[in-house]
Amino acid sequence: MQAVSAFLIPFLDIQLLGLVAAGTFAGIYIGAIPGLSVTMAVSILISFTFAWPVYPALALMIGIFMGGVYGGSRTAILLNIPGAPAAIATGLDGYPMAKKGEAGEAIGITTVMSFFGGCIGIIVLALAAPMVSEFALKFQPRDYMLLAVLGILLVGSLSGESLIKGIFAGAFGILIGTVGLDPLTIADRFTFGFSELRGGISFVAVMIGMFGISEALVQLHDVNKAAVRQQISRIVPSWSTITKYLPLSLRCSGIGVIIGALPGTGGDIAALMAYDHAKRTTKNPEVPFGEGAREGLVAPETANNAAVGGAFIPMMTLGIPGDAVTAIMIGALFIHGLNPGPMLMIDKPDMFWFIVGALTLANVFMLIFGLTGIRFFVKVVETPRSVLIPVIILLSIVGAYAVQSSLVDVYWMLGFGVLGYFMKLYGFQLGPVILGVILSRLLDDNWRRAIISDQESLPMLLKGIVTSPLSLVLFSAVLFILLAPLWRMVKARRAA
Amino acid sequence: MREGQTRRPGEAVFVAFLALASLGLLIKAYGIAGFEALSSPGALPMAAAAVMLVSALVILVQTMQAPVTKDETVREHILPIAVVVAIIAITAYAFLLQPLGFLITSFLFLAVLIRVLSGRSLFFCVWSSALCVLLIYVVFRIIFTVLMPEGIVPEREILAWLGRLFGGAR
Repeated sequence: MQAVSAFLIPFLDIQLLGLVAAGTFAGIYIGAIPGLSVTMAVSILISFTFAWPVYPALALMIGIFMGGVYGGSRTAILLNIPGAPAAIATGLDGYPMAKKGEAGEAIGITTVMSFFGGCIGIIVLALAAPMVSEFALKFQPRDYMLLAVLGILLVGSLSGESLIKGIFAGAFGILIGTVGLDPLTIADRFTFGFSELRGGISFVAVMIGMFGISEALVQLHDVNKAAVRQQISRIVPSWSTITKYLPLSLRCSGIGVIIGALPGTGGDIAALMAYDHAKRTTKNPEVPFGEGAREGLVAPETANNAAVGGAFIPMMTLGIPGDAVTAIMIGALFIHGLNPGPMLMIDKPDMFWFIVGALTLANVFMLIFGLTGIRFFVKVVETPRSVLIPVIILLSIVGAYAVQSSLVDVYWMLGFGVLGYFMKLYGFQLGPVILGVILSRLLDDNWRRAIISDQESLPMLLKGIVTSPLSLVLFSAVLFILLAPLWRMVKARRAA
Repeated sequence: MREGQTRRPGEAVFVAFLALASLGLLIKAYGIAGFEALSSPGALPMAAAAVMLVSALVILVQTMQAPVTKDETVREHILPIAVVVAIIAITAYAFLLQPLGFLITSFLFLAVLIRVLSGRSLFFCVWSSALCVLLIYVVFRIIFTVLMPEGIVPEREILAWLGRLFGGAR
């Protein structure tokens, strides 16, 4: 009963209802406009909502998250420019449809299937999370430590072209997270004698710099790129179209939830895997894949929205973010005094059910806004980048300043922005940096707890790992990620 | 942005900088508690810095072995003029925010950047910047109640005067 009433809060409170609606609406546009990303928007938003009560702040962020994942598909269809990585696969068949004058139908199918995928993801989240969190209570400090390392490594290995660059980025993030006074011994760590550094580096400044400023600077390379607009046809798909693709969308939702729930994998990988699944399993598509196949739209769109619910499972139950956006959501929960993990599910189950409710509501609003206002949407996404990018940079600066009314944070943001820009240009992933910053504290605390309980002895810690099935599985996964590229390299050399 | 396994202009310098910075951070991390204990406050920073150093060195070797891209230059593909202008503008913004205040600094920032990036008329840059600053001010100062430096604009007096004006009209 308590769960039901918490679930219904965003539906019954008019302010929260409005915030979820506004967030979803804004998210669709943010996700759609190339150069704006959900990660960027949520990280900027944290700085403006940190003083709000937790429910309204979360309602707005969840709306933006849900809307943003869907929004990327629209520009992929209309302009052949995916607004977000999760929409890359959508453009493969969406844009050919738009060129044939079927843009409206493509947007309609995408919207309905995104809604369907979102529903499946939320249902699995509601059913699985309580069980996972109960299981997570059995975790030892060493398991949390291994889980944190695994999460960072997975993000590093799956989100970019080079594992070693991902490892560098993750370690860099962990190091940033250790700056300041050590909470246990009050020892100075990387403060260089500056009192401003004793409180640590504001992770909001790091996030805005890495995702807001660096992305805006990269976008300046194509500042005058013009987009080609398509004609809009009928939008709402027929009932027969929906039922025809329901079995495929159900299978792809499953792929989306599982991929989304794995730390390090998000909507983009889920969408590409689902597209591949559709291509392999659809024997005789009406239109070939790559030329406007409906199946090529249904598969990635159900999967990437189902991945949203999936990504919340490790975040809410273990405190381990699935990707950069959920890492930022965890940061938002920290700011509001909440500590995601199994204890949150036990101490504050209301919070979990509120999030499930807000996700459901955002999914409904996504369907409503997705099927309406397309013509207005086309006008907005055509805002010249030469105007849009300066505004984004200004919002980033205001966001970094607003958290502590401190110019030092603006300098940090600028520094991390420029560093992030070069890292992006040279193929370093930024996701592991943020994951490292967020997980640094968890890693530090649990490493110290684990090693102290094993009397400062590494052999004893290793013995504990190999004798516990859970620790052994996690440790093997870490080793596998680290050793697999070496094995591939050795094999390639032998073959050569 | 990347094209295969080739070396982009400036990549080797950047990775060498990362390796050097990692070495500096490792020395600094050692200074926290040395090898005092595995649970010391310096253990994780040292481990992180060591991982950074080793991985940066591996990346440096890989980068040096990769063939150089022929069709890219630093000026066009790494630091185009638009990026340099944006970085200078952000730095200038950070320095001018306190003395000039949010409204004037933001207006100047947007007007200059839009003018440089779009090459549109001065009139367009002025009105679009003024409109954007006004929108951002209304949303963040009034709705989100974010306090930004006032500088030389007597914002509080203006807001109070507006309040009296509308209060009096009622």
